[in-house]
Formats: sequence, C-alpha cells, structure tokens
Amino acid sequence: MSIAVTTKATRKEAAAGAIRKPRRANLFDTALGRAALQILAVVAVLGAWQIGASQGWISAFLVGAPLGIGADFFSGMADGSLPYDTWITLYEAILGFVIGTILGSAVGLSLWYSVFLARLTEPFIVALNSVPKIALAPIVILWFGTGLVSKVALAVSMTALVALIAAYQGAKDADRDLQSLMVSMGANKRQVFFGVVVPSTVPVIISTFRINIGFGLVGAVVGEFMSSKRGLGHMIYEASGLYDLNTVWMGLFMLMALGFVLYHLIDMVERRLLPWKLDSGRQQIQI
Amino acid sequence: MTQDVQLSIRGMRKSFERKKVITPVLADISFDIYERDFVSVIGPSGCGKTTVFNIIAGLLESDAGTMVYRGETVSSLRGRIGYMMQKDLLFPWRTVLQNVLLGLQVRGTPLKAAEDTAREYLARFGLTGFENAFPATLSGGMRQRVALIRTLIMDPDILLLDEPFSALDYQTRLYLEGVLLDAVALFNKTVILITHDIDEAVALSKRVVVLSGRPTSVKAEHVIEIDRRTPIDARSDPRFSDYFHTLCGELDIQTRRDAA
Repeated sequence: MSIAVTTKATRKEAAAGAIRKPRRANLFDTALGRAALQILAVVAVLGAWQIGASQGWISAFLVGAPLGIGADFFSGMADGSLPYDTWITLYEAILGFVIGTILGSAVGLSLWYSVFLARLTEPFIVALNSVPKIALAPIVILWFGTGLVSKVALAVSMTALVALIAAYQGAKDADRDLQSLMVSMGANKRQVFFGVVVPSTVPVIISTFRINIGFGLVGAVVGEFMSSKRGLGHMIYEASGLYDLNTVWMGLFMLMALGFVLYHLIDMVERRLLPWKLDSGRQQIQI
Repeated sequence: MTQDVQLSIRGMRKSFERKKVITPVLADISFDIYERDFVSVIGPSGCGKTTVFNIIAGLLESDAGTMVYRGETVSSLRGRIGYMMQKDLLFPWRTVLQNVLLGLQVRGTPLKAAEDTAREYLARFGLTGFENAFPATLSGGMRQRVALIRTLIMDPDILLLDEPFSALDYQTRLYLEGVLLDAVALFNKTVILITHDIDEAVALSKRVVVLSGRPTSVKAEHVIEIDRRTPIDARSDPRFSDYFHTLCGELDIQTRRDAA
C-alpha cells in the first residue's frame, strides 16, 4: 500500500501533462533572438556609416566607407594577398603566444620550488614587467632582424611575463591543506609539486590565455608596423600612409575577426583541459 | 586487561611565534594509544587538538617531548598514518577513482594493482558506478565517504580523524559513524578522533582524552565501557547519559538547568 499525497497544483499539472517552462526575461533572450539583435546592430551601424559617407555628411576620405571596405575585401581575397597577410599575422601571434605561455608558466611554476630563488628574483620580475614591452620593439628588430623571429620575440616578450606572474601566484595560492595531506601520506616535494601545485595552477594559467592571445596579436602587429613586408600590421601601416582608409579598416576588421576566433578556440581548449570545472561556476545566479 | 602500547606521547610541547609574541599552545601533552584503540580527544576550542595531530603526522615539529611508536623513538609518523579532516580535501581535478588512488600513487604502487584495490574498496563502500565522477558532482556525505576510503586504502597503522563528520547533517553523520566503526573493526585499525561533539566521542570511542584550555595539558582520561555494535546502539546504552554528563562537566559545560 502506498500513501498518495496530491495537492491541487500537482493534480492540475498532471492533468495538463506539462512541466512548467522556465520563465524567460523577454522574447529575444534566445540564441536566435540574440543573434538577430547583434546582426541588426552591425547592419544599422554600417548602414548609417555608408549613407553618411555617400551623402557627403562625413568625409569618405578620412573615415572610409563600408562598400569600399567590402570591395577591398573581395579584391584582397581574389588575389590571395588578404588570406596570406592574415595567415602570417596569425602564425606570428600564435607562435609567440604558445612560446611565451610555456616559457612564462614553466619559470613561474618552478619559482615555487625555491622560496629563496623566488624572493631573490622578485624585484627583477617586477622591474621587467613594468617596462612597456612595446618599447623593446626597436631593440628586438636590431637583434632578431625584420623577419618572422622578431615578431615572435616581441609577442613572447608581451605574453611571457603575464604567464609567469600568474603561474607563480597560482602556485603560491595552491591549497595548503591538499599539500599537507600529501605530505602526511609521505609524499616528497616533487610529488606535491606535480600532485597539487601544477594541477591547481593550470586554471590560473588558462585564465591568462584570453589576455595573452590579445597580447600575442599586439606583439605581432607592432613588429609588423616597425618593419616587415607582410602581415596585417604591415598592410594597415602601409595603407594609412597612402590615406587608403578602406584598407586600414579592412585590416582592423580582420584583426578583430582573428581575435574573435582565437577567443572561442581558447574556450574550447579550456573545456578540454578542465572537465572538472564545467559543472560548477558556469551559471550566473538569477537576481 | 593488559594492552600493548602502540604509540606513546610524552611531554609534547609547542608554542607559536607571531610578530615577536610567543604563544604557548601545548604545555605538556602525554598520553598512550593502545593497539587497536579508539581514542577521542576533546577539549575547548582553540586548545591545540589539531596541533597535536599535525605533530603526529609530521606536518609540524614539536618544541619538546618524545614519541615512541611500538618501542621505537620516532620524530613523526609521516607516511604511516591516515589523516582525515573536516574538509574532505578531495582533489577537484581528480575523479573519485583517482582520488582514492592518491595515497597508493604517492607510495609508488603499480597503477594496475592500485586500481584493482581501489575498485574493490569503492565496491565495499557502495560507490560502484561513481568511479569517474568528479567530486563537485557528489553530495557531502559521499565526498566524505570517498575521503574515508582514500584514508583506509593506504592501510595506515593509525587513523587520525580531525572532526571528520562535523560538517555533515545529523543523519549522514550517524550513517558515516557506522561505516567508520565497521571499517575499523574489519581492518583492525587504531583510531584517534578529534571531535567537539561529546555525544560522538562517547558513542564511538573506547577511551576519551580530555584536554584543558591553553596552554594545554591532558586534564583527564576516561574509559568508556559501552556495549557498542552501532553508534545508535551506543546512544541507547543506559550508561551513555552518565558518560555524556561527566565529560560535559570536564569541559565546564553546564548540562543541568539548576546550574544557572
């Protein structure tokens, strides 16, 4: 025999056979609705820009015009120069980002091993970090030439210290209790390092990816500004010298697109590397 | 009844220094733990119970005193004890199975053998099917059960349990107390339990060591003679209440209304 407790509300729901749908804030708060609004906003801005330029309200010479940018885009795609320039910049940025992140994280993590070394090097790290890395560009070009290496080196200089400082801080913040637990189990320093310190620093390092992928692009583009024959930075620099604003805009939009794609790529990497973080902390509370 | 002493602590002393101010915490701690003993350590909060554990576990060094383990003077029992705390301290990036494996990996047990043992333990404690779950997806009681398995699987000589159940609700706690008693009987373990819960101390332990306030020394030792098969049985034993009130008295807790 079972005891059945049924309230009015549950009976009504059971009769309707329906589960209550989560309430929505508004009609557009769906993936499709948001995308529609976003596209609408872009189209509106570009439309106003184009109309303003073709009516002569704003100077097409100084600000360019969307149709001209589009024409440049198609001719650039057609002769293959745009994909090539984009690829060169992407290649430099990613190479610099990867090398800088690995180098910085490795040094930052290894500082955990020796408190003495960490204290010894701290002022130097702070000093290095406070130098605007862009200011290194002329020297980097003197040292590494005008080719790929100098752009990568610049991107590395921008990203490595960010990763280093984050990794060292993350390693210092690694849960003491987890470390104590391992020590009480008889673990040595190396086991504690790889068992607790490294895994708990990985999310901190990954959180620098988003900033650092941007810095990688900055390093690559600034290097191209200084001296180069290819790349989006070179394209923008050259076009601005010729007052070809449409090409400048096109370069900027391509950089924006690159940043956008890389950002989502990092999202994917994060999901892959941190499966244990997925279940918690993703959802914002509803207020 | 003659019992063999497993661990003997004599004159343990410890003070902490912060900003040039020296605070004596442990003044003089001496007690014995017998083979297959179950000893609860109670005392006012902040009296240094956890400090005693940290010294035994080798996470802290005492200023003075000796520890004799099965006739041999030792500085700590690092690697020979299983330490379990109030926080479950599961590694969030490890699955249940990997968490249970932790101690065996530290010890260097071949992975295959370690995994087999881990699965066996998980099955015994009713966690089959959760091997690949991450701790974030488990309830508090299950997490603490995983922590208990992680402690037991290393087959430690002594279990140091530092308020392991105090963050759990009463039902889960009663259940886990039962699991603990069964496991201790099954694996013939010695247990030292820190608790602020006198009820728990009486229900689980064979002996209770009462510590004084800071600077701390051992105030009293009580032998609990209760016929105990399960923690719930123990609580319904006629002598339970007497022990409870005696221990409350030791801690200067007023248990009778007329005392006010």
